[in-house]
Amino acid sequence: MDNFIEELKVQIIDTLALEDITPEDIDPEAQLVGGDLGIDSIDVLELVMMVEKIYGVVIDSKELGAQVFTSLGALGAYIQQTRNAGGAIG
Amino acid sequence: MADQRVFITGMGIISAMGNGVAETLQALQQAATGIRALTLFPCPVETLLPVGEVRGLATGDDGVPRTHQLASVAAREALGDAKHVPDMVIMGVTTGGMLATENYMKEGHRQPRFSYYHAAGSVADLVAQECGCRGPVLTVSTACSSGAVGIKLALEILRRGAVRRVLVGGADSLCRLTYYGFNSLQIVDRSGARPMDRDRHGMSVAEGAAMLLLTAADHPPAGALAEILGGGLTCDAHHPAAPHPEGRGAQEAMTAALEDAGLTPGAVDYINLHGTGTVENDLAEGFALKKVFENRLPPVSSVKGSFGHSLAAAGVIEAVVAALCIREGFMPANVGWRHQDEAIGFSPLVAPLHQPVQTVLSNSFGFGGNNAALVFAHPGFREAVKARPSARTLRVRAYACITGAGGTSATLARFFRGASCQGTLAADRLTDGLPPHAVRRMKRLARMALGLSTRVVSRAGRADPVSDVYFGTAWGALSETHDFLEKLYASNEFYTSPIDFVGSVHNAPAGQVAMRARARGANVAMTGGDASFEQALTAADYLAANGRHPVLVGGADEMHPVFSALFDPSVPMGDTPADGGGMLFLETAGDASPLTLRPGYFAPGGDVSESLQAALAYHGGPRTFNDRIGAVMVGIPAACREDCAPHLDDFWGRLGFKGPLIDYRRYFGEFASASAVAAVAAMALLERGAIPGALAGGEEWPLAGRGILLLGLGATITTMLAASS
Repeated sequence: MDNFIEELKVQIIDTLALEDITPEDIDPEAQLVGGDLGIDSIDVLELVMMVEKIYGVVIDSKELGAQVFTSLGALGAYIQQTRNAGGAIG
Repeated sequence: MADQRVFITGMGIISAMGNGVAETLQALQQAATGIRALTLFPCPVETLLPVGEVRGLATGDDGVPRTHQLASVAAREALGDAKHVPDMVIMGVTTGGMLATENYMKEGHRQPRFSYYHAAGSVADLVAQECGCRGPVLTVSTACSSGAVGIKLALEILRRGAVRRVLVGGADSLCRLTYYGFNSLQIVDRSGARPMDRDRHGMSVAEGAAMLLLTAADHPPAGALAEILGGGLTCDAHHPAAPHPEGRGAQEAMTAALEDAGLTPGAVDYINLHGTGTVENDLAEGFALKKVFENRLPPVSSVKGSFGHSLAAAGVIEAVVAALCIREGFMPANVGWRHQDEAIGFSPLVAPLHQPVQTVLSNSFGFGGNNAALVFAHPGFREAVKARPSARTLRVRAYACITGAGGTSATLARFFRGASCQGTLAADRLTDGLPPHAVRRMKRLARMALGLSTRVVSRAGRADPVSDVYFGTAWGALSETHDFLEKLYASNEFYTSPIDFVGSVHNAPAGQVAMRARARGANVAMTGGDASFEQALTAADYLAANGRHPVLVGGADEMHPVFSALFDPSVPMGDTPADGGGMLFLETAGDASPLTLRPGYFAPGGDVSESLQAALAYHGGPRTFNDRIGAVMVGIPAACREDCAPHLDDFWGRLGFKGPLIDYRRYFGEFASASAVAAVAAMALLERGAIPGALAGGEEWPLAGRGILLLGLGATITTMLAASS
């Protein structure tokens, strides 16, 4: 799980062009949206595309997105859980 | 002199609800919906989204894109058998020839076949050509409020008596950019739009066109369908895509429109909502309505459950609806609505309501927090027009530019030495001084606009926020558009970039400027080839002179490695790839600077000699011209140089003009908004009081209190007069 979280950090930094953020700056338990990283609702939608494309996990409603993107840890857990349950399309 | 009154004397419409006013009226009275599954283009995705698609439009094989065809159909109906050619054409357009460009890219072509029709501004050009209009042709591109903003601009131009008849409209065809783009924002309702409903899940993307023939008169002319009483434009300056959560800008736009119309909220009979069906929009609009109307809300409905959301066309489609309500004495149903949303707290009309309608308020809001509200009335409703303060001259307090040479000082230093400033400034230098996270979602054009605005605001040294932003761009955000489509096609139409979609609209750069400068007044993006900056200046001249200040007026275009050369025939003819832009900080205060920049002549090109003569006549003829103009800066797009040059030499020879002629694209490069850089350079030359020898062909040339004329040639002939009084 730790390795997966580290991988996700890099994907998020790349996807959102967070040039002045390093993986160490992202606390897996901290609030992901509206927190210190400056991530907002459009960024979440960009991350939805990334998660679907790379991990085959679909987050197709704002309500689900609001739960999944509470923290990096929650996002990582949701992706792994969904993939293990065979619910992924990828 | 009292303002002229402005009447709708003709209208045309084509949409998912039918072709023509009669079919549309019938569909509205039946509370029908035109929203069905997409058929226009093939999609690999299994579930097709419901859209508002125009049925039965013959696809021509002449390469004229669908948006243009829709606009032509509506324009022909609006003009009907009218004997008079309109003096001016104003359109609201966002997608232009996007569908054709998408099809072309999908086929893997790279040749510049669609150069002309890709541009959002080319729709208005075609409409003007077809109806024989020889006057100004303007295009507003402020996403979903474009059509309504265009009507407000036409209203101000007609009120001032500048022209008698304006054909104003909005058009957009469905395309992949908007179909996939809105879906990527998760704001498309898979059951079709249910505006204001408790269970609403988003909008239905749509297409269509509507046109109004507007006539200025002291009294209602024969056949007048409605009077336009007023309009209000504001910007949330809050977020690139989401509305202000309490509907702050929407409330301010409605209040401004009612004030402009001279009406109290209690005098409004019916409100046509923006009501897209997205959770956020409808909630914010509901809050704004409650603030403006308190507990005296008149009947309201959104027609977007019937038409879908036809983006730039929506504001004009709904103006047609407003005129029909007034003419027929009915209010349309809010199709799709079933359950009241307690958070909104009121219900729209569930069925058409038949009763006389004297006044209608119509809302249109868009990306960038761009808000427009319009007030329409029965032609017999009002006795006379109220007097308004006369227009005040905007004065230039500060200016800034970006070219390949760098920022303002670097560019002007090179220019004054007669050296080239052509090139493309490194992306990280466009927004000097702003941290990376502040610009991380912005690509080249938005960075240029933001960089220009922070530079010009800093040079102006004013602490109070800016009110209005006027921004001209010929091609808009090419990087975002290109990257969106490339990503879409690379994934077999599965994945897109929501950030690129939001950034792809022509008004995204101006929206970023507004957020940074806290500019909550009008926020207007104009587009029309090499005269895009001139259009922005024209819009500011009419919309800002009676209103708040300070205002920013700018123009920029980016050099995109694939698209620029594909769309703009002058780009590949340049010495070196080049881009940039310029921006002015203007105010009407008494202690402002002596510098002014006013729009002048504006007409479609055609015969160069005739156009030059007409422009000369506009500026008072040969003697006045030679007395008042100390130097001319001329913009000749490379693709037109061969055609223009001989006429121009002959013209100057006969005029006997002795001052310097500065061929400014030779210094700034081949990009459409080079005239914005030239305008900034003209301001600096006026302050200097003389044209440097390196630009005057020898000795330094004193301006001796005379102005500088900026002459733009090509598809449109324009002048702007820079002066110091």
